[in-house]
Amino acid sequence: MSAPGKTEPTQAIARARAGDAEAWGELYREFAPAIFRFCRRALPTREDAEDATMEIFMKLRDKLGQYDQTRSFTAWLYKVAANHCWDMLRRRKIRQDKETEDVDSVPLEHPDPSQLDRLIEQRTSEEVRRALDKLGARARMALAMRYYSDMSYDEIAEALGVRRAFVGVVLLRARHELRQAMGERGALAAGGAP
Amino acid sequence: MNDSMKHVDEMTCLLYVERQLDRGRAQEVSLHTQSCAECRTLLRALERESRLLTRAMLEEEEALPARLAEFHERARRSLQWIWGAAFGLAAMALYALYTGYIEPWQQQFEQAGFGGSSLLSLLIFQGAFWKGWQSMFSFIEILAVVTLAGFVAVFLRKRLRGSSAVAMVLASLCAVLALAAPASAATEFRKGESTEIAKGEVIKGDIFLSGARVRIDGTVEGDVFAFCQSLEVNGHVTGDVIVFAKNARINGQVDGNVRSFTNTITIGGTVGKNALSFGENISVDSSGKIAGSLTSFSESLGIDGKIGRDVLAFFGRANIAGAVAGAMKAKGEVLTISAGAQVDGPIHFDGERPPEVSPQAKLASPVEFKQMEHERRRESSAGFIVWKVIWTAAVLLFGLVLFSLMPKFAQESVASAEQYGAALGLGILVFFGVFIASLIACVTIVGLPLGIASLALWCTVVFSAQIVVGTLAGQWILGRSSELGPLLGRMAMGLVIVRVAVLALGHVSVIGFLFHAGILIWGVGAISLALYRRLQPVIAPNVPSASMGTPIPPNTTVGGVQPA
Repeated sequence: MSAPGKTEPTQAIARARAGDAEAWGELYREFAPAIFRFCRRALPTREDAEDATMEIFMKLRDKLGQYDQTRSFTAWLYKVAANHCWDMLRRRKIRQDKETEDVDSVPLEHPDPSQLDRLIEQRTSEEVRRALDKLGARARMALAMRYYSDMSYDEIAEALGVRRAFVGVVLLRARHELRQAMGERGALAAGGAP
Repeated sequence: MNDSMKHVDEMTCLLYVERQLDRGRAQEVSLHTQSCAECRTLLRALERESRLLTRAMLEEEEALPARLAEFHERARRSLQWIWGAAFGLAAMALYALYTGYIEPWQQQFEQAGFGGSSLLSLLIFQGAFWKGWQSMFSFIEILAVVTLAGFVAVFLRKRLRGSSAVAMVLASLCAVLALAAPASAATEFRKGESTEIAKGEVIKGDIFLSGARVRIDGTVEGDVFAFCQSLEVNGHVTGDVIVFAKNARINGQVDGNVRSFTNTITIGGTVGKNALSFGENISVDSSGKIAGSLTSFSESLGIDGKIGRDVLAFFGRANIAGAVAGAMKAKGEVLTISAGAQVDGPIHFDGERPPEVSPQAKLASPVEFKQMEHERRRESSAGFIVWKVIWTAAVLLFGLVLFSLMPKFAQESVASAEQYGAALGLGILVFFGVFIASLIACVTIVGLPLGIASLALWCTVVFSAQIVVGTLAGQWILGRSSELGPLLGRMAMGLVIVRVAVLALGHVSVIGFLFHAGILIWGVGAISLALYRRLQPVIAPNVPSASMGTPIPPNTTVGGVQPA
């Protein structure tokens, strides 16, 4: 897994682990924008994302000594961020809203590929982001973990506390929700306004 | 149909695109898509969807907020410090409340002969009252206990597992009942329009009497519990007399204590121990004698007889013409000490004007008079401001706890406050109605526990009212939010504004009073409205809803809502 557009700042990590405040500042400046964007995708409001970013970095600094340097720093960073965001949602019970209906009602039958193709072709990134805001907490969280921070199915399963085999179902269900949200927007845009 | 059966399902396609299929299955899918255009299109669409998602997610459309530009650990810590300070202030408020009010009262009650028992245990759980409960065998009392237990369970459910909370509450109740149970003994009950213990009759043990008129001319070798319109004790009671009545008169001899909750009580006989009275008019006749102390809460107090120990009295006006062997501590509007009065201990009087003391009165020392501070004067003092800040912090903390425990209900209450007419109307009804009903329940046969429970609930709702109104005010200023964090911020800001406004307008007597009352009534109405809606039956699932949009067929990915 690689963080979006980031290389591993090995030296800064080593210095920060040794207590170098400047090195920690460097790490923060380098990764804070990415973590903030991750939180922005995963959490419902901008204020939440800001608070979560701050808290995640406080947690990261406390846990920096536990980081295994043989593994990817960005992977570890996103794991901590994902766990924090998911805990935050769980504490607020936001994520319960959709959970119960998620599990068993996933349609696995063959969709209309050309219709799907057209829908995707017509949508912009901004429309996708707006549609993401309409999704349930778990769906949004799963999509952010997979398509923003490129986490593996194993990592997603661990963060969400589900079986690995269920991750695909969660992601597919999330895509369906997203398509529905995008479809509604499209329908409104096409015929809603007088 | 056969063709579609051969198609690869979307889940498998997604796993293929995501490279999550095992080698064998991936080859099968690959082979299939070489010959199936539809599945090929689906794979392509899913890949494009993945790319679209990644692009949408990675795009930097928002700059990093300024407050995140640097690592601000100190800012976070300072926030924690503020909460620490709020907790500290609240703790101070509780401590000040305890030392300023509860502890002195407790001491006075101990002096008045209630030993080490607290007021709560005295009123609810002490053995004597437990017997009173047994006498009524009323469903209402059980309901009140269950309600109290329910409150505790609801309060604890967030902290403990459901079963643990229930077990804990039940265990506590059992412990309470087990502690209270040994008090019961041979007990007699009498009911009727007119209930009487005739002259010469001797009751061995405790007795419970209820009816319009209760009269004791004989002897009771135990305690008397009376629930009636009028009580007259002309005989001899060796234990305590506990009375809930409109009028009570003690002409005979009571060897124990007299505890009364009455409109008017007159003690013309002898009380061997102490008297505690809540009522409008309390008087000790010239023939009356209380060997112990007298504690009274009344509009009018008259002492013409003898008090063996101290007097603690809160009153509108009081006239002392008898003898008090101990000290006297009084708080009220008007105190008159007449010619025949004799007080052997010191007299402290907090009043609006100096007491009228007859020169013929025999006093051990001059009356220590303390002018009750006028509201205006207090408002300008630093101590008053500090108290207001402490109380604001306490209310803030209370609001935080409420919002954390019941976020949905809190939001519903705030939303209900926006229905001004309904909230104010219901507020007036609940504010006055529930209060009066609770008091009636306390002093009548309906049940003291139910009355106290209702009164406690009423007080909680009134105390929460300003939190609801404050949150609404915060929303007006900062905009709506359904999230807990921002909502708490709005609550804190609005609450401070409301309390400052109440304080500022308090200088303009009538307007200030009306404003404060309006805030409380409005908030109480909003909470009641939210509660009322919660108690409404849920709409049947087959009732069509206006908010339902066009459903998307469950097995399609795009559905019928494609843009034109």
